[in-house]
Amino acid sequence: MIFNVLTALALNGFAMGMIYALMAMGIILLIRAIGVLNFAQGDMLMLGAYISLALIVDLKLPLLIMIPVALLSFAAVALIFMFGVYWPLRNASYPAAIVIATMGAGIAIKEFVTLVWGSLPMPMPALILDKETGGGKILRIGSTYLPWQMILTICVGAGAIWLVFILFEKMYAGRMMQAAAQDKFAAEMLGIPTIVTTAATYIISIILACIGGFMVGPMFTVNVTLGTLQLRAFAGVIIGGLGNIKGAIIGALLVGMVESFATIRFLAYKDAVVFLMLIVFLIFRPQGLFGEKISDKA
Amino acid sequence: MNSILRLDGLDKRFGGVVAADNITFSVNPGTVHGLIGPNGAGKSTLMNLISGIYTPDKGKVFFDEKDITDVPPYERARMGIARTFQAPRFLQRSNIRDNLLLGSDLVDQHSYFKSFFSKQGRNFESELQKFMKMADFEIDLDDDISSLTYGHRKLLEIIRSMLAHPRVMLVDEPAAGLNNKEIDNAMALLNMAANEYGIGVLLIEHSMDMIMHICEDIVVISFGKVIATGKPKEIASNPEVITAYLGRDTDD
Amino acid sequence: MKNTKKVLIKPSTIILLVACALFIVFIPLRYSGYNLMLYNTALIYAIVVFGLSLMLGMGGQLTFAGLAFMGAGTFYVANLCSGRWGFWVNNSLALITTPIVTGLLGFLIGSVLLKLKGTYFTFSTIALVQVAYSFYQNSRPISGGPDGISNIAPLRILGFEFNNYKRWFYLLVVLVIIVALIIERIRRTRFGRSLAAIRDNETAALTLGINVYRTKVIAFAITAMLGGLAGGLYAMQGRFAGSDMFTFERSTLFIIMGMIGGINNTFGVVIGSILVAMLPEWLRSLQRYLQLIYGLSVIVLMIFMPMGLAGIGSEMCKRIKRKITGIHAKKALEEAKK
Repeated sequence: MIFNVLTALALNGFAMGMIYALMAMGIILLIRAIGVLNFAQGDMLMLGAYISLALIVDLKLPLLIMIPVALLSFAAVALIFMFGVYWPLRNASYPAAIVIATMGAGIAIKEFVTLVWGSLPMPMPALILDKETGGGKILRIGSTYLPWQMILTICVGAGAIWLVFILFEKMYAGRMMQAAAQDKFAAEMLGIPTIVTTAATYIISIILACIGGFMVGPMFTVNVTLGTLQLRAFAGVIIGGLGNIKGAIIGALLVGMVESFATIRFLAYKDAVVFLMLIVFLIFRPQGLFGEKISDKA
Repeated sequence: MNSILRLDGLDKRFGGVVAADNITFSVNPGTVHGLIGPNGAGKSTLMNLISGIYTPDKGKVFFDEKDITDVPPYERARMGIARTFQAPRFLQRSNIRDNLLLGSDLVDQHSYFKSFFSKQGRNFESELQKFMKMADFEIDLDDDISSLTYGHRKLLEIIRSMLAHPRVMLVDEPAAGLNNKEIDNAMALLNMAANEYGIGVLLIEHSMDMIMHICEDIVVISFGKVIATGKPKEIASNPEVITAYLGRDTDD
Repeated sequence: MKNTKKVLIKPSTIILLVACALFIVFIPLRYSGYNLMLYNTALIYAIVVFGLSLMLGMGGQLTFAGLAFMGAGTFYVANLCSGRWGFWVNNSLALITTPIVTGLLGFLIGSVLLKLKGTYFTFSTIALVQVAYSFYQNSRPISGGPDGISNIAPLRILGFEFNNYKRWFYLLVVLVIIVALIIERIRRTRFGRSLAAIRDNETAALTLGINVYRTKVIAFAITAMLGGLAGGLYAMQGRFAGSDMFTFERSTLFIIMGMIGGINNTFGVVIGSILVAMLPEWLRSLQRYLQLIYGLSVIVLMIFMPMGLAGIGSEMCKRIKRKITGIHAKKALEEAKK
């Protein structure tokens, strides 16, 4: 009996961790490559869920067509976001202005969504449906219940992570983006157009968050408050160490697991558990799990 | 005479880069001491080590023969080590008065609580008049700091440091970006600091004009090491110094 | 050198002061009941935003923690003055001690969190708000859990009972004026200058002899005091303490509104607070799409006016002044030519 519960919790934690990791990757990319804290990342996730819902339920597109259409829409959203919020403020004198602008953007996105879709939460069908119940299909191993949506989330998340790593480690495009991130001026001198790399970074970050929305929609119903999940992603980024993508991913997975298992003992207080953990990390290991020790800069 | 500032065997590395290697020299009160060397030699690192922003890997810093190697930077400023920056650091959105008061705050050193109830900046206006005469331009204390030209802001930074009644002034490339008249004013101010106020001035400069003109002693640094110390005439004819400068591009 | 130590009577200030006087006279005459309560709530919010003005506006430190301390103040007062533990504390006494208690809490928590730099510190305040909210939402001993705490006794100062919104309005106006004067004074003292130096460049601030850590902790503690005071007032005005107020999202709203009003400007703080309190009401009756404009305007405002609406006022007055001096200069030139 206990084994079933634990496995279910582990799956839940891993799946939610993947959702957080998708957002976290986007967050850390924007921090490292562009130097912005994007407080609208969660709203991007939400937007992704709504767009996916519209494509699947309203337009009734089959999955094979829906996926590329969705990806294109996500990219469009990313570009609008970048030109609307980041571009005009990129040389701002007041450093907090750009962060606050993303907060404003978040509010605007929530209102836009409410305008178009109304404020009632809407159910989204899981990717694999159980023909008998009409709900999401559940894998049954003995007396353990494992919803397929969660398994798929883990797979999709893993796939996205793998693709991102290939981009940055193996492909020239990725190296260009890293160069532009480290030194814009030098990169321009080498003929790397920073507007293109900035746009590419934004597109990747936002697509990741939107994919997260697509996967999480069936788990929670699609509603305007989905954006609050971003706080867990931020916690994951910090715990992993603000240094690199690997840390952000592992931190996010850790947060997902801790949150899931915290419900055993502290159901209502699971938020407190997660964020207390964050505070503990900040105090005793501010560089996170993988960050470098914060020392004098040359 | 006792030095007011003394560096003893300072070492500082950043990863593989040796920014400071066994740096030892001293600055006497009431003198202008030049610190020169090609770009990248480690002069700014040295400034940071002295003001306490970096901690040395090895070696000690002495202020008035007291070991301050472990003293945090804000304490060092309160003890009397003032510093200017190459690009002037001012409160962008405040007026000139507030910016200058930051300097004179160091004189009274009231606690925040006491400062809430007392008059701000007691004697600072008469002193300021004297300094402004040397700097040879007019200001309106209520103006924004952004209304001043770059050159005037650099001069004002020197004045702000002097308002703090320091005993050591670390001056980082004051001549950069100044026209000839302003450079003369800067020299006048630094001379005043040293001769009238007994401040020990450590001056980083690329302008050999200024260095030769007002420095009593000079220390030359290259690749983090001291390669020569002495009077201006000796330094000017020192072959190692000449090689260090000519061996690489020193164009700004 | 000119040192025209002129008193702060700038033309823009006079206009705003007159507007404030009108506001103070007009509001309680025109509104009552629910609407007046909203304005009172706006004044309470203003006290919190003044705290934010200190940390964010002067010190440049983005903090979301204000609402956590407001909650602490609210539930401190609620527990002492509702009789739920079997005793009643005189609520003037409770109100006076609230900022002391939350200030102390702020000092302790701040000492820990402010060892972190910049972004890390900001995230720790986010974590703080979340943890606090989790407890406020669920813990029956602290906050009565989801039900909240009701039956908080009405405020009595020296026998005078504050049992209607008009009386609360005047009390709050007085308190807001006191807090505003204190913050304005701080701006002109060493503490204010030190915070500004920290905002613009921490390293340079160190070389100016500023103990950056200690200064930040003190500012944080003051923010906590103001938040707590506001929280206590909030509990006493509404006679009820619930946890809905103290979320991260609300915190974000406060910051945005403070910035829109003008975080470094006293009048801006009040304007921003009124916006936080009143916007939901005003927008309710408007077309839906105008709510979208609200979010978009935040972005636009950050781009063009990071100093907020209050900044517009002083900008316009500066331009008018320049035009006038320009006209004088032209006249003088013409005279000289003759």
